[in-house]
Amino acid sequence: MDESAAIDLAQHALEAARSCGAQSAEAAVSIARRLHVEARENAVARLEGSTAKGLLLRVFRDGRRATLATSDFSADGVADAVRRAVAHTQLVAADEFAGLPDRVGTDGENLSLCDPGIAQRDSLEKIDEALRLERLIRDADARVVNSSGSHYTDAVAVTALANTNGFAAAYAWTRVGRSTGPVALDNGVKRIAHYGTAARHARDLEGLEAVATAAVRRAVDLFGARKPPTMRVPVIFERDVAASILDDVFAAASSANVAVANSWLTGRVGNKIGSDLVSVVDDGRLIAGLGSAPFDGEGVPTRRTPVFERGVLQTFLYDTYYARKLGAASTGNSTGGGVGPSNFYLEPGSLTLAEVIAATPLGVLVVDTIGFATEHASGTYSRGARGFFIEGGEIAYPIDEFTVAGQYAEMLAGVDAVANDLRFDAAVVAPSFRVAEMTVSGN
Amino acid sequence: MLDESVFAELVGRALRRGGDFADVFCEHRRTLSYRLQDGRIHDASYGVTLGVGVRVVVGESAGYAYSDDLGDDALKATADAASLIARSAPAGQAGCSALRAEGVASLYHRDPAESVNPERYVALLDRADATARRCDSRVVAVNAQVVDDVQDVWIATSEGRFVFDRRPLVTLGVQVVASDKKERGSGYVGDGGRTSIDYFDRETPEALASEAARIATVNLIASPAPAGEMEMIVGAGGGGVLLHEAVGHGLESDFNRRGTSLYSGRVGEPVASDLVTIYDDGNLEQERGSLNVDDEGVPGQHKVLVENGVLRGYMQDRLNARLMGVESTGSGRRQSFRFAPQPRMCNTYMPDGESCFEEILASTRRGIYAKSFAGGQVEISKGDFVFMVGEGYLVENGRITAPVRNATIIGNGPDAMRKVVAVGSDSRLARRHYTCGKGGQYVPVGVGMPTVKISSITVGGTQHG
Repeated sequence: MDESAAIDLAQHALEAARSCGAQSAEAAVSIARRLHVEARENAVARLEGSTAKGLLLRVFRDGRRATLATSDFSADGVADAVRRAVAHTQLVAADEFAGLPDRVGTDGENLSLCDPGIAQRDSLEKIDEALRLERLIRDADARVVNSSGSHYTDAVAVTALANTNGFAAAYAWTRVGRSTGPVALDNGVKRIAHYGTAARHARDLEGLEAVATAAVRRAVDLFGARKPPTMRVPVIFERDVAASILDDVFAAASSANVAVANSWLTGRVGNKIGSDLVSVVDDGRLIAGLGSAPFDGEGVPTRRTPVFERGVLQTFLYDTYYARKLGAASTGNSTGGGVGPSNFYLEPGSLTLAEVIAATPLGVLVVDTIGFATEHASGTYSRGARGFFIEGGEIAYPIDEFTVAGQYAEMLAGVDAVANDLRFDAAVVAPSFRVAEMTVSGN
Repeated sequence: MLDESVFAELVGRALRRGGDFADVFCEHRRTLSYRLQDGRIHDASYGVTLGVGVRVVVGESAGYAYSDDLGDDALKATADAASLIARSAPAGQAGCSALRAEGVASLYHRDPAESVNPERYVALLDRADATARRCDSRVVAVNAQVVDDVQDVWIATSEGRFVFDRRPLVTLGVQVVASDKKERGSGYVGDGGRTSIDYFDRETPEALASEAARIATVNLIASPAPAGEMEMIVGAGGGGVLLHEAVGHGLESDFNRRGTSLYSGRVGEPVASDLVTIYDDGNLEQERGSLNVDDEGVPGQHKVLVENGVLRGYMQDRLNARLMGVESTGSGRRQSFRFAPQPRMCNTYMPDGESCFEEILASTRRGIYAKSFAGGQVEISKGDFVFMVGEGYLVENGRITAPVRNATIIGNGPDAMRKVVAVGSDSRLARRHYTCGKGGQYVPVGVGMPTVKISSITVGGTQHG
């Protein structure tokens, strides 16, 4: 991937914007080569490989802004789309907060976002990796009778950003992942589970055997699961489910939601929200992090921002627009069109997950959830779940077809144990943690 | 766009290394969107999606490649990349017939050449904002968006089919937040369809905004939802989310050909109460999920999925239909040229039964009335599904007593469908704003439902006892 080619495309779009009457503009270009291999039953079920480009252009005129997203890089295509985007500004209300950021830049620190080995590796080896993973899940346990596929994915890419204030920079990045979805037969019931690993560098991936073993365990450990009784009990969220809760915490801390009253955290900076164990960080500088970048979607340098410290809400996360609107400074969280997380995570504790379970006389361990609609305005949480009933500090039996529910304010205040099993396999992650009491709804 | 001869050449080139069939999908999509926030037009955006995807199918294997560069060399390289699949699978035999362009009858209510004065979009948003704020003094925020999308597709197949379809899709969504200083509640209403923005002359922004404001104020004063098993009344219209999750996904042919769905191999067997009939229809005029032709060039169809409780058939795309020895049902859909097709739902609904709402309500001793839905999800192997209530009420002794806050409801597909004890005579399609995600691909769909009663289901609130 050629960083200068991406910068050239961005500069070209800026010129087009200027010539159409934009007073200022910002162009982001990404070029990514992606490969996706899916293996199933000793065969390659899918082989997808392509290079794609994308341009995201923001134009400003008289305090009015408009956005263009296009995959059409032909000369006529760019000219026509840019002309339309600039014309659209006429219908937008003038907004004193709209515009390019005051401070852009990149300090040149190597965040180790690129594994050159991924582009060099032969695609037949990558195909073989997916086939081996598919064999491993079937060999791991005789009860695995089927699968929804075993996958190898990678991306080799550059992201470039330029604006009419003279900023122009680019960085290369890679991403590689492997995942699988075994189906095990439990007395006529098909139990499917998923497990995966992802990283910037191939060396940081969990091994094929480890991925296969974890996925198969997730399927067979649920054998014989039944519906639990309805009760108020301590709930332990296992790592991956804990991460999905951090997704909701990010949404509540996002200035884009706060500004439109769509966050239960609105107006609560400085308040003690969580327990002392709740320290949440947004870190755009994490070496080799999947959410790391030298600068954000509008060229603002990324940084490490403590969001909660020992339960106290320190700040919301901002791009330039919402920072100006809400009287703060950008935290380097622009996605180019909105506000997004860097590496957003709950700081790990010192206990192992096994120790947290052992310290739980009666409770529920949630290992998987379905559903997604959190009502962010009120902070209401409710999910379908499966996992295990805990009695006497031990896993007693598997449970499924239940829900777990609460209010976010109570959940964060109720965090009374945090495990040490944090892994950075996505931009938003968390270690396993326990909430003192939630409602489990079953029979 | 591309010359017809280019399509023929690409199909031929894709099959050079062998294969059972190949197709070329070219897309040119323009999306216009305006967003209102804080009482003013906050931003405008324009999107262009342009590119070509080439697929080669060999047995159960598919090779796929795409390009946003429509130059000769790039397209040839794309066909070559897709053809690589034929190296790792036993090569089939297919020729490429001469392409013949086919006209299609249109389900869409829009003049293909229509041009819209952009002031009209902005006016819709301003009207929605003014209405919501007038509705209730507790309304603290109104966010509204109008999206006008036109997708042109050209599809060429190795059987010689060559079709063009211009697919319009408009959506107006209004989100309202109400607050009384202590609590907050939100409501969302969206509508539109495969039509022009003239649609909002009939389904007005005033109607959508006042409905969203009403839901926000209901949720503001709502009590925490109950927890535990109870009766449930599923509201007409949006209740169709239940069918989409509890049954629909499990009847998509990829899961059934692979045997990973709990409905695999069960055609002809009872899978629901005999009151339950479910259709999926790609042919309904103006609906979000309707398509003149699907993304493999096959015309949309009316499909009987479940009839009087008995499983009748699956939703098929070409790859899976071929392997299962049946015909495609026009269910092959993709998000864009960057994705290979998958079997998907179009508009999924249940026709009228014989009960009336008042009877159903009167027969309910203790339960929840889920009037509208914020979405759902299913795990298709065991069949557990959830759906999230957008507006819900407690029902006690045959009467609606109090609004309850957004809760997730969980059930198991066949179990919940067996517990359908009453089906209303008020079937209707929901307001058109649903989008379905599968395997990372998002496509617009429709749902519909009469009022339905389920004798027992688990409600995921916080109030126990």
